[in-house]
Amino acid sequence: MNTHLDEHQITAAVAGLELEPEAEEHLVSCLSCRQRVAAFKDLIDARGEQMAAEMPDWDRQQAEILLQLPKSLTGRPAKTRRWTRALFAAAAAVLVAVGLEFMWSPAPMGEPVVELEVPIEQILAEVDAALADDSLPGFESIDPGVDDPKSYFENGAS
Amino acid sequence: MVMLQAAVMDFSRSDAPPDDDALVLRARNGDRDAFGELVNRHQRRVWMVCRQYVGVDEADAAAQDSLVKAFTRIGDFDRRAAFSTWLTRIAINTCLDGLRKQRREGVIADNCEDQERAGVLAQVPDGQAGPETRFQQRQAVDNLRDREQELPPKQREIFRLRFYAEMELEEIAQILDIHVGTVKTQLHRAVHRLRGELGAYR
Repeated sequence: MNTHLDEHQITAAVAGLELEPEAEEHLVSCLSCRQRVAAFKDLIDARGEQMAAEMPDWDRQQAEILLQLPKSLTGRPAKTRRWTRALFAAAAAVLVAVGLEFMWSPAPMGEPVVELEVPIEQILAEVDAALADDSLPGFESIDPGVDDPKSYFENGAS
Repeated sequence: MVMLQAAVMDFSRSDAPPDDDALVLRARNGDRDAFGELVNRHQRRVWMVCRQYVGVDEADAAAQDSLVKAFTRIGDFDRRAAFSTWLTRIAINTCLDGLRKQRREGVIADNCEDQERAGVLAQVPDGQAGPETRFQQRQAVDNLRDREQELPPKQREIFRLRFYAEMELEEIAQILDIHVGTVKTQLHRAVHRLRGELGAYR
């Protein structure tokens, strides 16, 4: 590359951006182009030095910072603490919601309550009558080998 | 084998200064000396970043706020980025919060640089230059500062982080949450524009 760098290439060199290999090569060998780059860099450096003159006393600043630090830090990372807090908050909210639901909800919806068509007294009377009647035909047919259930119980039990 | 031994010896050197991550771990456990060392390493850059956002008068206070915040929030540092990057992000946020607050309260002047113009120039190192050269140098630096102020905000921010806070392009991209290609483009435009306006430095 024999020609000098153009304005954009000089700008890129000042900014510290990548140059094409040919341009880079030229910059290394060309004093004129290097001076153009350096002129603006020097100006920026001068501005940086101007600001450096305003810098505070670092030891004093460090001492002041250390004085402002809180006495202690909790060992666990703050992020974990935040997650834990959020988790507890969510769990508490769920518990409260479940409790409220339990307190205010109507009777369980599981099985519908069926109105009895026959009064309960009548049912009980029928059951009592059935129990009082000991001539239940069903028993005889269950065990046809035993003719007299009474004798069965007497023999078998003793 | 020799290389391995050399590596082990190098690794076990006790006089090597601890890296930032090691100091952060100690600081997390409340080791104030470790945090003091982190302050020592990074306070200059934090101040320079704050200087770009809030001006010279507020830079010291903003830098101190930033570093104290970093200590109290050090448990949040997840090492996805370098500590210096994380710290710089805190510094920028602290400055922007302060500016927003001042703006709400009607305290802030839009151009912080105006306040410092008179006092700062007298402090520029003179070196061996003669009076006329010194005057020209100061005038040129003054011009650069003025032209910087006229850059679009994002270009100005990137230009200052790059040259005065001496940050790498990738780091600027990470801190400003933009693509590194955007950083390059904006920086190129800023430098090109400044060179164009400061004709003698082309």
